[in-house]
Amino acid sequence: MRFLLLLPLTLLLFPVPASAEPAVVVRATELKNAPAADAPTVAQLAENAAVDALERKGGWTRVKSASGEGWVRMLALRFGGPGEAKKGDSGVSQIFNVARTGSSGTQVTTGVRGLDPEMLAKAQPNPAELAKMEQFVTTQDAAAGFAAKGKLQARQVEEVK
Amino acid sequence: MSRLFTTLFLLLAAGAAQAQFRLPNLDVNRLVDSVKNVGKATKDIGQDEEIVIGRDLAATLLGAAPLVNDARLQQYVNNVGRWIASQSERADLPWQFGVLDAPQLNAFAVPGGTIFITRGLLERMKSEAELAGVLGHEIVHVVKKHHLKAIQKGAATALAGDALSMAVKNKNAGANEKLVSFGKEMYSRGLDKGDEFEADRLGVVLAARAGYDAYGLPSVLQTLQAMNAQDSGVALMFKTHPAPGDRLDQLGEKMQPTLDAYAGQPQLAERFRSESKVSK
Repeated sequence: MRFLLLLPLTLLLFPVPASAEPAVVVRATELKNAPAADAPTVAQLAENAAVDALERKGGWTRVKSASGEGWVRMLALRFGGPGEAKKGDSGVSQIFNVARTGSSGTQVTTGVRGLDPEMLAKAQPNPAELAKMEQFVTTQDAAAGFAAKGKLQARQVEEVK
Repeated sequence: MSRLFTTLFLLLAAGAAQAQFRLPNLDVNRLVDSVKNVGKATKDIGQDEEIVIGRDLAATLLGAAPLVNDARLQQYVNNVGRWIASQSERADLPWQFGVLDAPQLNAFAVPGGTIFITRGLLERMKSEAELAGVLGHEIVHVVKKHHLKAIQKGAATALAGDALSMAVKNKNAGANEKLVSFGKEMYSRGLDKGDEFEADRLGVVLAARAGYDAYGLPSVLQTLQAMNAQDSGVALMFKTHPAPGDRLDQLGEKMQPTLDAYAGQPQLAERFRSESKVSK
């Protein structure tokens, strides 16, 4: 009995990372013990192997798999995509519909806003809002100062065709 | 044939006159229709014209969703965007950035240097590097004139080329309306897939040039890929873009060396968290 009472407490001591998200690897991939191409390989993951994604570091994602924990190329991971796993709606449409219809259930004209194709087709130009936008514009110099504050350094990087 | 050119000449003269003296009752639309085959649709659109066209399209998108009422947030996104745009070959355009108050996840590029991102997309991001990746993608659409070329292509069929130049030169309401309705269609139909893939590749390059972790854009694509295509929040985005999984495949195929070379640059997750909070 006492053991059962303690069980929830024990679980708290080993929390499951909040961000663990189920994913699959889209191609056969090496599971590395560190986020680097030259790190030792923990295991080979077969195409479509299921994993739990935990965190990203650069181009690598830490995952838990049946063959152990380690790092895989983030570009090799796919989460429940279109038509798969996640059914239903995130709730965006519900919130949006409430805003659109109001309590009476009829459309409130001032509320007809949004970026669905239907809404976009109805959109009328709003020059006042465009004018308002100008007050937030920044200069090239000010933006460079802002970048420096974040320790961002400009680099020469070639375009890739 | 010569009659057509005479008509065109008169049209242009009338256009110029109207611009200066505001001649009343000139039905530019009807006249334009009568000369729509003259073949001017293929002429290059200059930078000043591009900016004027962009203003009309930007005002229309703002008609669909206004700006988030938060000066600090708008200034933050302008700083990030302006810094990235400064790394492009069109650094001197009048770049401006806006966060649209819409729950859907999307971003838009408008000719002439206006970029929008929705509150919905911003709320799903985890770092400034992710924001940089998305803004980089949109900036490439402007730098490579993807929308402008789509307008020109459409102008050859849907719009007379002259309706376009009339709209620019005269601000004629009718011709402008045509242009704006074509623009709306363009933003709900989307660009060519090839343009989107190019914007992904070069967007990654711009973010890396600006000093950010190059994996910002792939990271956002992975967030989108995890969402259901039936979700109304991504309906328009998914309709107008290749599937996020395909975009990730393309980036993996062509960009792996670039991505890895600049993966260690700052993500600025902390600054993003404190600056991008939407005040209610």
